[in-house]
Amino acid sequence: MDMALPVVNATAAVLARVSAAFNGPLARAVVFGVHIDGHLVVEGLLIAVIVFQLSRKSYKPPKKPLTEKEIDELCDEWEPEPLCPPIKEGAKIDAPTLESAAGPHTIVDGKEVVNFASANYLGLIGNEKIIDSCISSLEKYGVGSCGPRGFYGTIDVHLDCESKIAKFLGTPDSILYSYGISTIFSVIPAFCKKGDIIVADEGVHWAVQNGLHLSRSTVVYFKHNDMASLASTLEKLTRGNKRAEKIRRYIVVESIYQNSGQIAPLDEIVRLKEKYRFRVILEESHSFGVLGKSGRGLAEHYGVPIEKIDIITAGMGNALATDGGFCTGSVRVVDHQRLSSSGYVFSASLPPYLASAAVSAVNYLEENPSVLANLRSNIALLHKELSDTPGLEISSHVLSPIVFLKLKKSTGSPTTDLDLLETIADKALKEDSVFVVTSKKSNLDRCKLPIGIRLFVSAGHTELDISRLSSSLKRVSASVLSDYF
Amino acid sequence: MGRRGEPYYVEAVPPVDVNKNTEWFMYPGVWTTYILMLFFAWLLVLSVSGCSPGAAWTVVNLAHFAITYHFFHWKKGTPFAADDQGIYSRLTWWEQIDNGQQLTRNRKFLTVVPVVLYLIASHLTDYKQPMFFLNTIAVFVLVVAKLPNMHKVRIFGINADI
Repeated sequence: MDMALPVVNATAAVLARVSAAFNGPLARAVVFGVHIDGHLVVEGLLIAVIVFQLSRKSYKPPKKPLTEKEIDELCDEWEPEPLCPPIKEGAKIDAPTLESAAGPHTIVDGKEVVNFASANYLGLIGNEKIIDSCISSLEKYGVGSCGPRGFYGTIDVHLDCESKIAKFLGTPDSILYSYGISTIFSVIPAFCKKGDIIVADEGVHWAVQNGLHLSRSTVVYFKHNDMASLASTLEKLTRGNKRAEKIRRYIVVESIYQNSGQIAPLDEIVRLKEKYRFRVILEESHSFGVLGKSGRGLAEHYGVPIEKIDIITAGMGNALATDGGFCTGSVRVVDHQRLSSSGYVFSASLPPYLASAAVSAVNYLEENPSVLANLRSNIALLHKELSDTPGLEISSHVLSPIVFLKLKKSTGSPTTDLDLLETIADKALKEDSVFVVTSKKSNLDRCKLPIGIRLFVSAGHTELDISRLSSSLKRVSASVLSDYF
Repeated sequence: MGRRGEPYYVEAVPPVDVNKNTEWFMYPGVWTTYILMLFFAWLLVLSVSGCSPGAAWTVVNLAHFAITYHFFHWKKGTPFAADDQGIYSRLTWWEQIDNGQQLTRNRKFLTVVPVVLYLIASHLTDYKQPMFFLNTIAVFVLVVAKLPNMHKVRIFGINADI
């Protein structure tokens, strides 16, 4: 306290002097009868400086060249940032390696396994007719097309494939893409632009999310496969909104959701689309060749006229066991993409042998409708066999070839849930030679649906394969989840 | 080729401000928000301390001085060094705004605010000491720091890079 006293006294003395200076005779003047106090001098000066600064024009100060010393200092200081952040332990993927065709049985790390990890729904991988058509196509056209469709990359087999798909689905026209997932994320931005409204299911997979992002449209998500949520979202967006009537509006859904195995209720979606005057973009990668009496997809399954769906897209890497994708719809919809869809315009066209494979696969499906009956009976059998798996429950639709097993009760931590499911998948592979995968998501994926074990059922699986899978999962999940549930 | 055979160039117009540390000041409504924050700060001081309006304005003025001096004229660099590769690491926030352009509308606004605060605080305290002295010091330091002639200048090497 005593030490602070001199400081306080000194401060008081300074302030007293300042006050005296402001109130002294020199600081007071009378101009035209007005008393000018000391503070007015300070304020006047301040205001003069400010007015002067405000009246000046903006300018860029001249750049002084750096001295040699400064350059050296900057170079010494500079530490380049790493090209990418360090990979976290959980993000490292040590995926099993397949050493043969990804059919119902395959070879993983040197041993034969039952494969429930490949979306080979119709069991067409390794199909003789398809292989023969590929061989003859390779002999005739070679491997690649070496050019986009608009620049000498269009080959007759591409046109055959487009007309085959359009004829099969009963649409006026279709367009072929050279890569499965680029189909949807090229189609969405081709039609949806900045200022448009897209109402999308929160469960859509990454390719759809990417398309939504690239479109720069206003995206509103509704609850996963919940038609009440969709209806209320459409109502909110359109009720009393004059602007909404003038802008383009879309509903984007998947027919069978890759992230849940649920099937979209198309009849209800079409009813809402017509009521609120939206357009529908339907992603059919997992339902084309699977749903419907003859495998024509979700529209056939629900008995909805296909012309009521504005745009249908699908990847051909699942049921058709080839690659690439297609979009189908009206002639206007297809023609617009030939000049406006980035994946079509800028990518080298689909290798001709893959287009041949697609044509052969569709022909096979038309000639052998029994393959769909096999697939459905396998799905039904798997549902029955897995209904009492300890700690796990089926959350997918009974007709979905993606059978989705999730934890009956979450641990509360997505990381722990994933670890448990990964352990189950790992043990099933190592101990029982049953190859299954979890629905582990990439960091890029914004889908918030719960993770699970995703089983892809094939028409090529036998009853023995299914019983082997179910007994393995029951045994492994009982041992892994015993401590938790 | 253009006229007289010279090639055409498509000139890319750089964005107004690519510095994430300063771009927020470009947003509409920032000036209004700034003024409202000062006003509500005055109300807060007035209601909490129960002092006179002039004393409350003095507290707001001094707090504004301390905060803005520290964040605008003392701290250097940006929290986003990873994005800008450290090009702003030797510059204060004041030196970064508007890409170093002087006497812009934003700079003029930020120069006028402490002066107006000073005039209000001084007038409402009837130019009494010690408030008047403290207010004068605060405004003097802030206005000098904001002068175009002081751009990238470190008086007596204070806060200079070693």
